[in-house]
Amino acid sequence: MQQTIGLLLPRSTYYTGLSFDLFEGVRASLKQLERDDIRVVTENIGFGTDKQLCYKAAEELIMHENATVILAYIGHRMAQVLRPLFQAANRLLIVLDAGANAPHEWPETPNIIYHSFHNTFGSWLTAKRAVNDGFSQGGMVTGYYDGGYLQTWGICSGFTEAGGNISFNHSTGYNKNDFSMLPLKEHTENHPNGALLSIFSGDYVQWYFECLKEVFGENHLPVYLPPFACEETMLKNAVHPGGLIKGIAAWSYHLDNSANKIFIASIESSGRTANLFSLLGWEGAIIGAEAVNLMSAHKNNVAFVADTLNDFSFEGPRGKVYFHAPTRHTLAPMYETNIQSNGNNGCSVVVEKQINETVADFEAFIALPMKDAISGWYNSYTCI
Amino acid sequence: MELKRILVLCGGKFAFPSLQTLGVEKFLCGIGIGKGEKGILSILDQESKNSGLPYMSFPTKESLSHLRNWIDEIQPDYIFSISFPFLLSEEVLSYGEDKFINFHPGPLPEYRGPMPLFEVLRYQEKETAVSVHFMSEEFDDGAIILKETLPISKNETYGELAIKLSSRTAMVALNIAQMLQYASTIPRTAQDENKARYFEKPEAIDTFIQWNRMPADEIIALINACNPWNQGADAILFGRSVKLLAATLSDELHSELPGKVLQLTQSGSIAVSCIDQKVIHIQIVAGDFGILAAERFIKTTSIPEYILN
Repeated sequence: MQQTIGLLLPRSTYYTGLSFDLFEGVRASLKQLERDDIRVVTENIGFGTDKQLCYKAAEELIMHENATVILAYIGHRMAQVLRPLFQAANRLLIVLDAGANAPHEWPETPNIIYHSFHNTFGSWLTAKRAVNDGFSQGGMVTGYYDGGYLQTWGICSGFTEAGGNISFNHSTGYNKNDFSMLPLKEHTENHPNGALLSIFSGDYVQWYFECLKEVFGENHLPVYLPPFACEETMLKNAVHPGGLIKGIAAWSYHLDNSANKIFIASIESSGRTANLFSLLGWEGAIIGAEAVNLMSAHKNNVAFVADTLNDFSFEGPRGKVYFHAPTRHTLAPMYETNIQSNGNNGCSVVVEKQINETVADFEAFIALPMKDAISGWYNSYTCI
Repeated sequence: MELKRILVLCGGKFAFPSLQTLGVEKFLCGIGIGKGEKGILSILDQESKNSGLPYMSFPTKESLSHLRNWIDEIQPDYIFSISFPFLLSEEVLSYGEDKFINFHPGPLPEYRGPMPLFEVLRYQEKETAVSVHFMSEEFDDGAIILKETLPISKNETYGELAIKLSSRTAMVALNIAQMLQYASTIPRTAQDENKARYFEKPEAIDTFIQWNRMPADEIIALINACNPWNQGADAILFGRSVKLLAATLSDELHSELPGKVLQLTQSGSIAVSCIDQKVIHIQIVAGDFGILAAERFIKTTSIPEYILN
């Protein structure tokens, strides 16, 4: 019997291929799983900020396309807006999320599960890594766009909780002309044993490296990056500024496992480049296909399906993906990385170590009080 | 797009988180309160004045005669009822079809009535719900929009569950407001009358521990269900009429008659025999003497020597 998975796709002028990559990830994954019985129907949700648009798109997929499971690249807040619709319609929402924001509470959501790359959690880990490497003074460096998400809270709280001190904050402008690292000079002079806790994504990583080189040459303070700054398709176009650059990555093109090889080959066979977004779609489809099976076998008993998925895991391109039941979020290994020059005017990511036991870290992270940390950014990450 | 305007009829502080959430999200256009303690009325009155929201108190059933006119003045798009203690008349409901939505703090249709928290705890349910439904002229009747379920923790008291439900109701109220704002149709499922049960407000007989009939787990459930609104479950202990506020099930077994005080334990609890040979340990007792730890309560009464040995 033909089943339908709905896909709510955003658009981005920043990562122009975002929705194509997500879709291709889902399509290729279902093909790899030989799930010809599942059709994928998509709806556009703009930048993921328009509640009306998102709601109507989800309604369309549920009511007119009879989708039992919907994958949506949205944030926690938009998921909350859609929550009653899925509850009333007895459908399962699988949120695909970069994890740039974190919810203030981690409530039980019987109709929603979250498949996230946990960028805020990764920021927290990268800051702890900096402290473990011996840096006690942190300068938090970000831009107007990236800085509006709670990943900034993640990186700062990770650093201070591990015993470090945030001695400087710099948020640079959004346009090329406003983008500057000159304010870091004073911090560097005052804290020679400091590290730059840096939150950028996409083109901004390139600009950041350029500016560091302009201002400091190769003598900039060590740089620590969160998962989305370790995104390799963007990094390969960023000129390495020299010096030490480390980070935490959710995935690397170079991970040596069979699932990653299959994933990359499948995406490249369609003429696209494997990246974080196609990976999110790829893994989301594996969870979606399992959810469709369960929904069919258990007559759309969503609460039961969501509970059963808590025991579901699979070996994916970035290692074992499994559920953290209390928050209904997926978890997977993270990777300690070193960013090096690729010798061709770009950067490459060298994976130094796999962090397997992320559960204890994640539970420590979600137990942190956010106090007054609030994000005003409603859009899906990088959808501007 | 203009936001829907929602008037909330409530019954007290249980609705505060919902009022706050709907207010912050700019859906709230007025607050009406039924009955309500003086302190609560004063807070709501002040908060409404501060935020420029219409506010009205309905202390008695008779005062509801003003409700329809007040609603006509405000012209809300929807009226949410969150623990509002009165049934709305046909005249009020005629303001508009599907305009009135009740947030019932219990599973429907199984737990209709004014105190479903008491009933779900007394009946040792593992989970409860916030049931959102369109209102009719009958209590807790009308098609259900959605049920938000949440687990009941072991030994959870009425007060603890009320706080949890109050907070979850706020989230559900916002969910429903957004649904009303953005949905093209509001889903509805008729209540299954075959499963419907209506529970009146508990009377003295419902809160009384009957040692010669009730097994240990039922007694503990009743104690939790009565804490704090009834200051505990009513019981006779050492021949005195008291209220029991906290008790736990022990691993011990006994062969005494039910309701017999067996001993004062080393941790200061009073061990009492139950009809199913199980033993409960009572930790807190209330009465004319105040609210006391069991060990201190023992000192206020003349007790047989064996209990202290």
